[in-house]
Amino acid sequence: MHQIIDKLGGIEAFGIFSICLFVVVFTGSMVLAFCLKKPFLKNMSALPLEDERVHAKNSNPPIL
Amino acid sequence: MITAETLHPQPRRQQDAAVETFRYDNRVVRAFAIATVVWGIVGMTAGLLCAVQLFFPGANLDFQFITFGRLRPVHTNAVIFAFVGNGMFTGIYYSLQRLCKARMFSDKLSWLNFWGWNAIIVAAAITLPMGFTTSKEYAELEWPIKIAIAVIWVAFTINLLGTIVKRREKHIYVAIWFYIATALTVAVLHIVNGLEVPASMWKGYSIYAGVQDALVQWWYGHNAVAFFLTTPYLGMMYYYLPKAANRPVFSYRLSIIHFWALIFIYIWAGPHHLLYTALPDWAQSLGMVFSIMLIAPSWGGMLNGLLTLRGAWDKVRQDPVLKFMVAAVTAYGMATLEGPALAIKTVNSLSHYTDWTIAHVHTGALGWNGLLTFSVLYWLFPRLYNTKLWSVKLANYHFWIALLGMMFYVIPMYIAGITEGMMWKQFTKEGFLQYPNFLQTVQQIIPFYQLRAVGGTLYIFGVWLMAFNLWKTARSGVFVPEEEVQAVSFRSQPDLHGEPAFSHRWLESKPILLTGLALVAVLIGGMIEIIPMIVIKENVPTISSVKPYTALEVMGRDIYIREGCLACHSQMVRPFRSETERYGEYSKAGEFVYDHPFLWGSKRIGPDLHRVGGKYPDAWHYNHLDDPRSTSPGSIMPRYSWLLTQKLDTSSLPARIGALRRVGVPYPAGYESQALDDLNKQADKIVANLKGGSVKTTPDREIIAVIAYLQRLGTDIKLAPKPAVADASSGLHASN
Repeated sequence: MHQIIDKLGGIEAFGIFSICLFVVVFTGSMVLAFCLKKPFLKNMSALPLEDERVHAKNSNPPIL
Repeated sequence: MITAETLHPQPRRQQDAAVETFRYDNRVVRAFAIATVVWGIVGMTAGLLCAVQLFFPGANLDFQFITFGRLRPVHTNAVIFAFVGNGMFTGIYYSLQRLCKARMFSDKLSWLNFWGWNAIIVAAAITLPMGFTTSKEYAELEWPIKIAIAVIWVAFTINLLGTIVKRREKHIYVAIWFYIATALTVAVLHIVNGLEVPASMWKGYSIYAGVQDALVQWWYGHNAVAFFLTTPYLGMMYYYLPKAANRPVFSYRLSIIHFWALIFIYIWAGPHHLLYTALPDWAQSLGMVFSIMLIAPSWGGMLNGLLTLRGAWDKVRQDPVLKFMVAAVTAYGMATLEGPALAIKTVNSLSHYTDWTIAHVHTGALGWNGLLTFSVLYWLFPRLYNTKLWSVKLANYHFWIALLGMMFYVIPMYIAGITEGMMWKQFTKEGFLQYPNFLQTVQQIIPFYQLRAVGGTLYIFGVWLMAFNLWKTARSGVFVPEEEVQAVSFRSQPDLHGEPAFSHRWLESKPILLTGLALVAVLIGGMIEIIPMIVIKENVPTISSVKPYTALEVMGRDIYIREGCLACHSQMVRPFRSETERYGEYSKAGEFVYDHPFLWGSKRIGPDLHRVGGKYPDAWHYNHLDDPRSTSPGSIMPRYSWLLTQKLDTSSLPARIGALRRVGVPYPAGYESQALDDLNKQADKIVANLKGGSVKTTPDREIIAVIAYLQRLGTDIKLAPKPAVADASSGLHASN
């Protein structure tokens, strides 16, 4: 089976291409993440906390 | 230090900006939440009944509809798609509205999603016990239900994307990216894996065969875990954990890397379910490498979740919501460390087909999905009913009972798995199998099966406590069906941060582009894995002695599928000495070219059956299926006595032959008219054989077809080479 696939034309290329592609995606996401500015990051990381404190008219009670 | 300024920077709030008033829809959230609890109890109870049958086979009461093979898919579908599915929709419908500062795009689509999804679950709960199944794990539902799933999923996706498009928050929070990836990928997986040619209303044949079918199925199966059980729950973690801890997420940067790395890598890892099988080596290696790489983003996400609790750990002591969340995220970390370890070929050679896999998946299901769902429900109900949780003490009890239940479940399963794996491989000094009788290994692990049932019972008891607590909470408050809120309109919000185009911040304000890129990320892996397999199909010659199944064998195979035999019996002898000694020649890819679908299985509660053909007389199979303990004392296999009495329905045979031809099995044109005659001849031959074994029966019973199929298994390569199967008119043969 392996020999037959080999003859299809460089099956090892699939592995190399896959890893290269991952490196590109991973590096790209790292670059994009580290290019973000701190005020924006603070803003975004606190986004889930906004609705109850700022917008909701009927305040939800805490669980305890 | 977290301050009000950090949480709500002043520039965001423009006093003169247009403020809009609108309402969040809590009704559909409540409906999904209630469905989550109900289906959780149903699905877990089905699981408990399955667990009990593994040490007390009579627990099915000889009732075919609740026998293990049929009940297992009911359990898995109920907990995955009903419990976690409704839990996921609960979490998404609540958080999405608030993160987008917008009501759901369409109330009609919301309710179509709710009623449609739950109607599908009811349909599954009816059809699976009846034996209407494709046999493909977590994709068992037959084609009419599959189409309904696709329609409802599209409705959900439109509702999701529509809400994002009409949002009032400029930037799309990380939780929503995970929701987008979930919606897109599940749609792709479901459609590609579900392609069938119908033979009747409740019977279809996968368009893929053998190795291709296995690869597509586990590409689907693994990514169902990834994109149904993981990504939506990660999105929920990124919303509900900060809410419960009242802390912003630890690192938004890390969440970006977590998201892109996770969705990109996950899709490649499916072949780790097929290590040492007949799948080509390159695909196995690719799956293994990417599985190991998955540790990085998975643990990145876990640490991001746990570190969000920095400065709030004191709350964990008191708040059951946080307790559940911490335990859930920790279970996620454990499962995602163990998963890649199991994907290493040497580890997998021991763990595969054993209860180790069961322990692994339940660490994820009971720990990650179960506990996170409970935490969200405990957090949500007081808010939906504008009250406090009825009993914090009871919720804390639930937490400890659930944790204890998990321990009683997974620890015995780990011990059972390793015990099985080692006993299967153990040789004597003389070079013989130490435990040649498979039953020896089964008997050894029965105490662990009993302990597992104790763990399951505890876990379900905890869910009942939660149901009671939530019901009392609802009774103590007043439901808030519509939550009126205000937010600055989308257009009134200035661009404050001055980030350049093509930055991630820019991307986060472009939902369509973000959706497109996420789709590309998840598609690439699938395409690179699957396309070569399609090419191989066209280039690899079949083994010349491998022939299509005879008409009777087709019927027998479909009964084998109906009864869920593959829940306990694999059909894949791996190329290990311990397996070839026990079962015979290892399985070759070319042997499965007419297997629509493939039936390799994923668990050996009983022995592998790929080489069972010709191993025992017909009468042995007859007696064994009637009462397994009569031929195999100590067996935990259920009785299949109904196969002895139920009449084989051959009316659908021509349609089955026609459908199989359409998916590529080379039955000659017009064979439908001859098939019934061939079937009867082969059945008569088996009845004659049975008579020789002192068994009296008639040729029109279902058991005759099952015996025909079992006796055919794995025998083709033993035959002398014959002309290529392209000319199947002369190739159909009976094994008896």
